[in-house]
Amino acid sequence: MSEPGPPEGGVPTGAAPTLPPPERLRDRITWKMVLGSPVALLPMFLLAAVAGVLLYASDLHNFGWSLWGTDWNWIPPGPGSSYGIGYFALGSVLTASLAMLLATVLSLAMAISIVVYLPVIPSRALTVVTDLLAGIPSVVFGIWGFVVLAPYFGENLEPSLRDALYWLPGFGGPAFAIGGGTGILLAVFVLTIMIIPITTAIMRESLRAVPHSAIEAGLALGATRWEVVRKVRLPMARAGIFGALFLGFGRAIGESVAVSMLIGATPQLPPSLYAGGYTIAAYILDQQDSAFAYPVLLQVLVEFALILLLISVVVNIVGHRLTRGSRNSGTLN
Amino acid sequence: MAVQNSTGNPAGDILRYSPGHLRLRFVIDKIVGWVLLLAFLAVLFPLADMLYWVGEKALPTFTMNTLTLNQVGTGGGLHSMIVGTFIILILSTVIATGIGVLAGMYTAEFAPRRVAEAGRVAGYLLAGVPAIVLGYFGFYLLVIYTKWDYNTLAGAITLGIFMVPFVYRATDLAFVNVPHDQREGALAMGASRFQYLRRVAFPIAMPTILSGVFLAMALGMGETAPLVLTVGWSNTVPTNLLQPTGYLTGAIWNFYDFPSTYGSFQTLAFQAAFLLILIVIALNVGVQIISEHYRRKLRGLVG
Repeated sequence: MSEPGPPEGGVPTGAAPTLPPPERLRDRITWKMVLGSPVALLPMFLLAAVAGVLLYASDLHNFGWSLWGTDWNWIPPGPGSSYGIGYFALGSVLTASLAMLLATVLSLAMAISIVVYLPVIPSRALTVVTDLLAGIPSVVFGIWGFVVLAPYFGENLEPSLRDALYWLPGFGGPAFAIGGGTGILLAVFVLTIMIIPITTAIMRESLRAVPHSAIEAGLALGATRWEVVRKVRLPMARAGIFGALFLGFGRAIGESVAVSMLIGATPQLPPSLYAGGYTIAAYILDQQDSAFAYPVLLQVLVEFALILLLISVVVNIVGHRLTRGSRNSGTLN
Repeated sequence: MAVQNSTGNPAGDILRYSPGHLRLRFVIDKIVGWVLLLAFLAVLFPLADMLYWVGEKALPTFTMNTLTLNQVGTGGGLHSMIVGTFIILILSTVIATGIGVLAGMYTAEFAPRRVAEAGRVAGYLLAGVPAIVLGYFGFYLLVIYTKWDYNTLAGAITLGIFMVPFVYRATDLAFVNVPHDQREGALAMGASRFQYLRRVAFPIAMPTILSGVFLAMALGMGETAPLVLTVGWSNTVPTNLLQPTGYLTGAIWNFYDFPSTYGSFQTLAFQAAFLLILIVIALNVGVQIISEHYRRKLRGLVG
């Protein structure tokens, strides 16, 4: 589902044309409940509450700049402990960006296929199937990746990839980095599959939302389907495509469960994509028991959660702005 | 020239001789279509493999005991986790629907333009907040700060917050998209705004709102992180809401990395995955049926 805004036709929202206020008492009471109720603005309050509670729980002065470093030695919590987010942030950004790039390419292909190329019945069927897949729990992807994919990656795919692509940065590296198959590459693979249904749904809807007049104009000028896609649909659907991209990145960077199962749980500067890594979200999840036991670690993880929140809010604001800007301009090129 | 090389087929002549390499352009069009379809299949293949694999692992050992027994030691069934999932899901759906529908109606119908915009941005951002961050919020506020320890209610509240934006956005969208004619018609007939909302807008908006609620339920039920951080774990059905409980996603999370030789932990995880997929499919089918029913009702096809 793409973000709700005023629909393309520019139907005015809000209270125009104004309807008279209710006359009956019962109507009036319901009216007051909806209109005057603070409950009506709860999404805003909820967002503020989440940020507020986490800010309250954190104490930035405690850790200072060491929080931004790469030292992460905290057991046992004491004077010598260090809590650097560096490797976790690196893992988060790396996995989410790679997954987003792959998912963008693939889901664009899927969306164009569904909207333009496939006949009606397969297109509808595949729409239902991809929407269904968006609801598959991430933990199911996790266990599938852990039990099925990890051995395959460790024994077949990664050694042969390393032999074939050793010259490519990230695909060479030491052989021991491959290990049992869990690692950044596996996490990226599963993340990509996880976010594809969502990005595809958004791109599909935005490709569909392109006005028929523009498409028919293109076809009438003698353009082939592909040329209409490239010169009419894609430029006009840019908004939704970028929106999907950012939403996909946000999903990928916030995913904790599947990543924690697949990434190999090693905070390090990965020597290659086969090596283990860690992400902020996965670390927060994994260290829950320690956070319960040590107040210091609880605070560190609150900082981690805040940073994750900040990243997701920034990504989403940028996505929102981008999609809104290009929707307003709404030009053909 | 065209006559000279004619194939006897006028369309073929046009393809061959019209300017702009028409035939090449059609060939490119075809090739692109096939390449895109290939990419599609390349994505669907692993997904199909996953669904097949889950069924293959779970079905042979799936009996009534799986549904009716509690997990004991390394064996037993998923009874308490199924019950726990539904307790949490019902509570959080009530929370999310209450907040989401009211807020969505307010945003679409009552709010001044600026407030509506701010609300939409807030909903958009809330939907983008990672589940783990919401989970940590619940963990800090409802587990540690309140000294309730791990409990079902904390999980339901946290999951409810997770689900709010989906219901909210669907409701907002549903009311905004009510055709303008309907509003003007209601106004012309002398309806009050409340009458308009209840008699005109709500029936039209209903299928979209319901699909939002079902989507939120499917996504909420599949979440693991917020629950791991708030609900804790138990292998018996809780007797009150301030106790921890089991839940299906937690079964996978807790059992996935036991070796397959170690009791039936891994089997339980596979069965939980199977059940989760079944419920997601059921919710999807349910939303299709319900929204189709409402659509027919609007067209006057059924009572």
